[in-house]
Amino acid sequence: MNAIELDSVTKAYDSVTAVDAVSLNIRQGAIVGLLGPNGAGKTTTIRMVMSILMPDSGAIRVLDQPVSDRTRDLIGYLPEERGLYPRMKVRDVIVFLAALHGMSEAEAGKRADEWLERFELSAWADKKLIDLSKGMQQKVQFITSVLHRPPLVILDEPFSGLDPVNAAAVKDIMLELRDQGSTVVLSTHRMEQVEKMCESICLINHGKCVLDGELRAIKQSYGKNTAHIEFTGPDGFLKHPSVAGVNRFGTGAEVKLKPGADAQALLKAAIECGAQISRFELLEPSLNDIFIERTTAHA
Amino acid sequence: MRKIWLIVKREYLTRVKTKGFVIGTIVVPLIGVGFALMTAFLSARQPTQTFRMGIVDQSGELAASIRGSMSAKLANGEPEFSVLQTVSRPPSLSAAEDQLREQVNSGALDGYLVIPADLDATIELHMRNPDNLRLIAPLTGAINQALVMARLQARGIRVSDAGDIFQSANLKLIKVTRTGESVERGQTVGISIALVMLLYVALLMYGIITMRSVLEEKTTRTMETLISTVRPFQLLAGKILGVAGVAFTQFLIWMTALALVFTYGAFLSAMSGVPISGVHIPVSLLVYALIFFVLGYFMYASFYAAIGSACSNEQDAQQLQWPATLPLVFSVVIFGVVLSDPSSHASIVLSEIPLFAPILMTLRISVQTPPFWQIALSIALLLAAIVGVVWVSAHVYRVGVLMYGKRPNLPELLRWLRYS
Repeated sequence: MNAIELDSVTKAYDSVTAVDAVSLNIRQGAIVGLLGPNGAGKTTTIRMVMSILMPDSGAIRVLDQPVSDRTRDLIGYLPEERGLYPRMKVRDVIVFLAALHGMSEAEAGKRADEWLERFELSAWADKKLIDLSKGMQQKVQFITSVLHRPPLVILDEPFSGLDPVNAAAVKDIMLELRDQGSTVVLSTHRMEQVEKMCESICLINHGKCVLDGELRAIKQSYGKNTAHIEFTGPDGFLKHPSVAGVNRFGTGAEVKLKPGADAQALLKAAIECGAQISRFELLEPSLNDIFIERTTAHA
Repeated sequence: MRKIWLIVKREYLTRVKTKGFVIGTIVVPLIGVGFALMTAFLSARQPTQTFRMGIVDQSGELAASIRGSMSAKLANGEPEFSVLQTVSRPPSLSAAEDQLREQVNSGALDGYLVIPADLDATIELHMRNPDNLRLIAPLTGAINQALVMARLQARGIRVSDAGDIFQSANLKLIKVTRTGESVERGQTVGISIALVMLLYVALLMYGIITMRSVLEEKTTRTMETLISTVRPFQLLAGKILGVAGVAFTQFLIWMTALALVFTYGAFLSAMSGVPISGVHIPVSLLVYALIFFVLGYFMYASFYAAIGSACSNEQDAQQLQWPATLPLVFSVVIFGVVLSDPSSHASIVLSEIPLFAPILMTLRISVQTPPFWQIALSIALLLAAIVGVVWVSAHVYRVGVLMYGKRPNLPELLRWLRYS
């Protein structure tokens, strides 16, 4: 079963084609990264999945049903632009939004208390949102996106504004949701989070899906084309003909090799050049590198 | 439907529970009552001081007669006018006037009358405070009476009992309506003006409350979360109905208070045996006013909600709200025309136009009930307009709630209507 299915979906505003014939499948029960530079069409795609916007052409299915008001209630959504009624009380807002998702108010109230407890917000339940710190408001908003136990959760930059303790709590909840069989779509620009959390990714650029699949397989397809070298002494070997690009840092460099280049020849050149090598490791490229390569190559 | 109901409930409860609602509910009628009492007090206030005057009579015939006609008494029993000095056929008019003017300035007199030798020429009243219009009617009456007496005498007609002859006619105004007749004491105009102002204030106030409510969800970005679970139309409908509920509650409180005051008044009058001359408002008028208020509210609230959704901040909304405010202001500006001639072609046409109908048709009904078909047509047109305005508003709203940044211009708004 697929959590989200897009079949050549296109959406245009006036002259701009925000989403251009995108097809993709997101499997149920996984954490999936939805990536792309600013203005790539991520928000439009999410809004079509939420049936806030209708596609101009193509078909969208959510949890094996065509998108509708009914599928909308099966989704938990944390928008990037946060904000809730500032003059409502914390518990009232949570119950109101859960009730809109189809929960009974009694059940929603009970679960709201549990979640507030978990995020150490119980003392603030009867305070107005405007009286809370920004971080606390973030936590309240996160609660509203998961309280109704949605089988599909879409989180847009969920860690922004959270301290490390609360970020860890949110990460744990994402894993819990996956273990309970829910699908979590994580939209973010923080590549290290995606590398840690996501099994698969979908990269959108200029309204097109340019990369889609298991993160491990994608990385493997690039091969071990990156050499992580820690050294002291002369660095003339970094100009070796097999080097495509260098990223220097204090204790050494990350070297991108040209396709088909021989890593051993580079190591040999380094030794001949007189560098003291403490580490030489061949790696798959980081998601950061893949992101930059795929989004600038298609620009 | 459940979602609309949840939105209505939230909108209603968060508004009714605020201090602003409690204060508004108590303060607005207090201001109204205060104004009414002040107006009544000012207009009913009786003068307590005799107007001391002098007369320069160049004809030498009128002064005594005027003095004799000044029978008006003040509320405290003192005479309204007292002539302290009479100069008959002065050798020099300017010298006589100078002398009297000095007395007015020193405060010994309040004013003086100058009667010309030719009785058909203009009579002058010189006084410190010529704004005191209240004096004009009784003084003119006394002078008229003296003049007529003098002219009759000149024609050789002797009048012995001037008081009886000049007894004023007693004119009683009676308003004819389909349901019968009622004695008119100016209450028709009073009720009409009160209704027009009430409708104007209520439509404007609750329209703007709806607009600000939409705007608040946009500026706080609550909208981003809301539209992930409700359709914009559900949000729009819930909001308008919720604010309508607030309006209804407020009116109910006011009407209950008014009913209690009337009941208490009736109770007091029954106990004391003094009948109260209460203002009689026909029930049919109240029902029509309520119908036109409700229909007008739905039209204007949708209009204002669409404006709120198209804007991203308070300033933009202030600037963009004129298309909704203008027809309301126009209705109030033009209401005098309809009030003075409610059956003219202009009145009929204006009261059939949906944007003006809520105020102007209610006004016509209160002044002179128009033929039923005109009322029915106006309601039908209003209903059709509501469908149209709600359709347009829902489309603007649907796009507007997702749009931030620059205030849209008209071509952009028209393009929004075509978005799917």
